[in-house]
Amino acid sequence: MERKKRDWKYSANVLLFVVPALIPLVVFWIYPIIRSLFISFTNWDYMSPTYDFVFLDNFIALFKDARFYDALLNTLIFTLGTLIPTLVGGLLLALLLQKHFRGSGIYKFILFSPWITPTVAISIVWVWIFDPDTGIANAVLNFFHMPGLKWIESSDTALLAVIIVTVWKSLGYAMIFYLSALEKVPSELYEACGLDGARKWQRFRDITIPSISPTTFFLMIITMVNSLQAYDQIQILTQGGPSGSTRTLLYMYYQLGFEEFDMGQATAVAMVMIVITVLLSAVQFRASKKWVHY
Amino acid sequence: MDSQRTLNLKTEVSARPAVHRKKKKASSTAAEWVKKIVLLMASAVTAFPFLWMILSALKTKEEIMDVSAFFPQNPQWQNFTEVIFQSPIVRYIGNSLYVSVITVAIQLVTGAMITYAIVFMHFRGRKALFAIIMGTYMLPTAATYIPSYIILANMNLLNTYTGLIISSAVSIFGIFLLRQAFMQVPTGLIEAARIDGAGHWKTLWKIVMPMTKSSFITFGLMSFITCYNNYMWPSLITDDTRLSLVSQGLRQFFIEGGAYGTNWSLVMAGSAVIVIPLLVLFAFTQKWFINGIGGDTGMKG
Repeated sequence: MERKKRDWKYSANVLLFVVPALIPLVVFWIYPIIRSLFISFTNWDYMSPTYDFVFLDNFIALFKDARFYDALLNTLIFTLGTLIPTLVGGLLLALLLQKHFRGSGIYKFILFSPWITPTVAISIVWVWIFDPDTGIANAVLNFFHMPGLKWIESSDTALLAVIIVTVWKSLGYAMIFYLSALEKVPSELYEACGLDGARKWQRFRDITIPSISPTTFFLMIITMVNSLQAYDQIQILTQGGPSGSTRTLLYMYYQLGFEEFDMGQATAVAMVMIVITVLLSAVQFRASKKWVHY
Repeated sequence: MDSQRTLNLKTEVSARPAVHRKKKKASSTAAEWVKKIVLLMASAVTAFPFLWMILSALKTKEEIMDVSAFFPQNPQWQNFTEVIFQSPIVRYIGNSLYVSVITVAIQLVTGAMITYAIVFMHFRGRKALFAIIMGTYMLPTAATYIPSYIILANMNLLNTYTGLIISSAVSIFGIFLLRQAFMQVPTGLIEAARIDGAGHWKTLWKIVMPMTKSSFITFGLMSFITCYNNYMWPSLITDDTRLSLVSQGLRQFFIEGGAYGTNWSLVMAGSAVIVIPLLVLFAFTQKWFINGIGGDTGMKG
């Protein structure tokens, strides 16, 4: 009897500790994802109270829409275009700042600072930098006797401009993660490989890279998810244009849902995004068994 | 650990023959120079937009259109006073501060409680609960926006801070961060506190929290920055410009003054007024970011 009472009290305590976080988590995260799946099978337009079930029509329409494939390709280019430079650059900077020296703190401060500033504020500055006539970006290109670009005003270069801003903002973040990973590489490992024979590059390839692989893996997932849902910089720099050249899946979702109020189509795009995220994560988790060493 | 490393290095160097040492020294100074140059260039490129923002904010309308005028001739400080006293920018800063302080406080409490339960309490479904939380962390947040919008609309909470705050009442990133820290706390300590008659609530705030304070600070700061700068979700659920947070407000200011009015100096001054306090905040709190977020990234779970 006594024991039962204690168990009951314990469960009540667990519940008390879990519920404050669980309610918002369920109401604003888990339920909406299930609800999105439901809406994606309807033709709801948000304004009217009624809707019909159209089953897979939204998905069929999407897969027939050229805009969708453009957005898919843009998302892929954008994701890879930000992921690779962010990780490589972040690691390079971390390697350079690994050992403490005078002024290393200032470098870290500067390199990380873009991350803490609002993307909107800084994207506005970049709009000004990228201005084809009076911007400093073209002034720099001209200085090196290169022709100026149209940057965000041309569909050839707009995505590149968005990638530059995104990499500029996230490089310091990757650097921080690599810095703490490098610090944790046990120095015995370096000693064990012999200081005489092994060259620096070999040491880097055979010891450093495998030792920091969990961080690389983590950053790959995080950068991928962030790139898949990049919105602020696209909204300020290009609004998905010119002529759809910077419309990613997320931006397409935003336009369909909150500009055209085609909720069925929009949630169908959201579902595709979720499937892509799950697939890519699964592939990376699978592959990580081969190259990540915990 | 650092001193140990330098010690190893010393023995390494002295063990080498003298000639070898000299050669190594020459190549290492060259390497030092390359390193310095790369770092200087990377920092210059990173800092440039901030510098350009401030310089542009101090220029006249004519100067800002002239690319060859790098520095303003007579710094136009009145651009700043105009933005501060005659535009709603300061109001937006107040809005952002208000919303983020409350949101962060709530996130710290909800996050600490659920993490305590996951790490120290025994109940069925504990692992599943953590797996679900981890899964939501990787899903694109935006996929939840349409139903979340409808939920807030049904609750009559569009265009309110209550709606904004309750929909951000939990930070999944924060739960990750705290979990890594809580797992370092010896369970013996928790048991001892429990035997001494401390309740779970007391154990969490009197024993666990003081031991993991730095993770709490990092969580608070990261979350503060995220809420303060947040753009997409707040701008979807509020269209009342008096309620705008900094990002949304600044965009409004940009559209009115920049793209159509082409008053770039004022737009840059507006951006600077929002960005500079954040840079100052970061200057004082940098160690919590730099030492705190790298942390343990074990995705093994």
